[in-house]
Amino acid sequence: MNKIPVLIDEKKLEVDPHRTILEVCREHDIEILTMCHLKGIADIGSCRLCLVEVEGINKLMSACTTKVTANMVISTATERIKKYQRITTELFFAERNHVCAVCVSNGSCELQELGYKTGVDNIRYPHLFPQCNVDTSHPWYVMDHNRCIMCTRCVRVCNEVEGAHNWDIKNRGHQVRIISDFDTPWGASTTCTSCGKCLHACPTGAIWPKAIVQGQLVKNPGMITELVEKRKMRL
Amino acid sequence: MTKKKLATIWLGGCSGCHMSLLDIDERILDVVKLADIVKSPVVDGKELPEVDIALVEGSITSDEHYKEILHIRKQAKTLIALGDCAVMTNVTGMRNYFPLKEVVDAAYVNAVSNDGQGELPNHPCLLRLNDKVVPLQEVVKVDFVIPGCPPDADTIFYVLAEFLNDRLPDLGKTKKLKYG
Repeated sequence: MNKIPVLIDEKKLEVDPHRTILEVCREHDIEILTMCHLKGIADIGSCRLCLVEVEGINKLMSACTTKVTANMVISTATERIKKYQRITTELFFAERNHVCAVCVSNGSCELQELGYKTGVDNIRYPHLFPQCNVDTSHPWYVMDHNRCIMCTRCVRVCNEVEGAHNWDIKNRGHQVRIISDFDTPWGASTTCTSCGKCLHACPTGAIWPKAIVQGQLVKNPGMITELVEKRKMRL
Repeated sequence: MTKKKLATIWLGGCSGCHMSLLDIDERILDVVKLADIVKSPVVDGKELPEVDIALVEGSITSDEHYKEILHIRKQAKTLIALGDCAVMTNVTGMRNYFPLKEVVDAAYVNAVSNDGQGELPNHPCLLRLNDKVVPLQEVVKVDFVIPGCPPDADTIFYVLAEFLNDRLPDLGKTKKLKYG
């Protein structure tokens, strides 16, 4: 396949066409922050962290859903991008109830890591403090909506990889919530196979096994990527 | 260089941040070389005089804290929010998800150990809880924040040492940012 030239952060690269800006950057060790992206499942560009500047386009483009074209000039780390990344991260913290001190994911949380990377030391927006449910009806797992950032990785992994489609989404705006089946308790689900993939896909402490206590949760989202790759190889 | 004045104040928090402050161990001697600790839960100062640096732990949960933080802001040249509660309400703010009455009733009236005899404490000397817990920065201007639950002793010492030597600390660049 013919390669096409692109310029990313003033680096001249020859890359395969039909690939996303994110894929190209990751291949060339150019750091792009992401939350809703998980290699192996479909990209939806919802977290708005992977925004890049493309010359000739006024708005910022999400790197995970924008494909490279010949002679594209891309910037990934301008002050404008950093500013928006920090705002987005702060809004994640302000929207739900993220209390790291009592969270199972404390110390191994993608949201915490994101905060450190974007330099968030305080939240400049008022916290919404919504009253969120904690669904403990499943025999092994817990869904804590307080800690959910609506990346929807669980929804996509359940649908695309496990094929069960237990998870889906209801409502809009800040009232948006992940639901099990038709908004019924997770434990009563007729579609959930209890495979636990959603747990590993989840970047925060929103989905966790009951056998875990504060700060002990270690997730392995790479396992999902590996699973998808292995399935492709068998075909 | 004249000796600076340092105060550490405990508002709506668990005092864990002050425990972490004490964990700077013998480095407290380096601190007192550069500053007098004029008010703190660990010294005997009663009133808050004008100070160069005030380290404030905890969030604003009551009328008393509200008055106190306004006074601290008036007295302190540099106000530092110490710990997750002061910076973003943390555990202290977990009662914000519910109406205040539900929260205090759960603790004082409906607690199982009360055997149905519980009542709300109502002495005039007691502080009055605000409906919602807020971080310091929603009430006053905060000059610097040290998140963490608690912040590491090393981080607290680093920040103190920088300010006492008239430098501005940077938690991001020094990789000292931590929540929880």
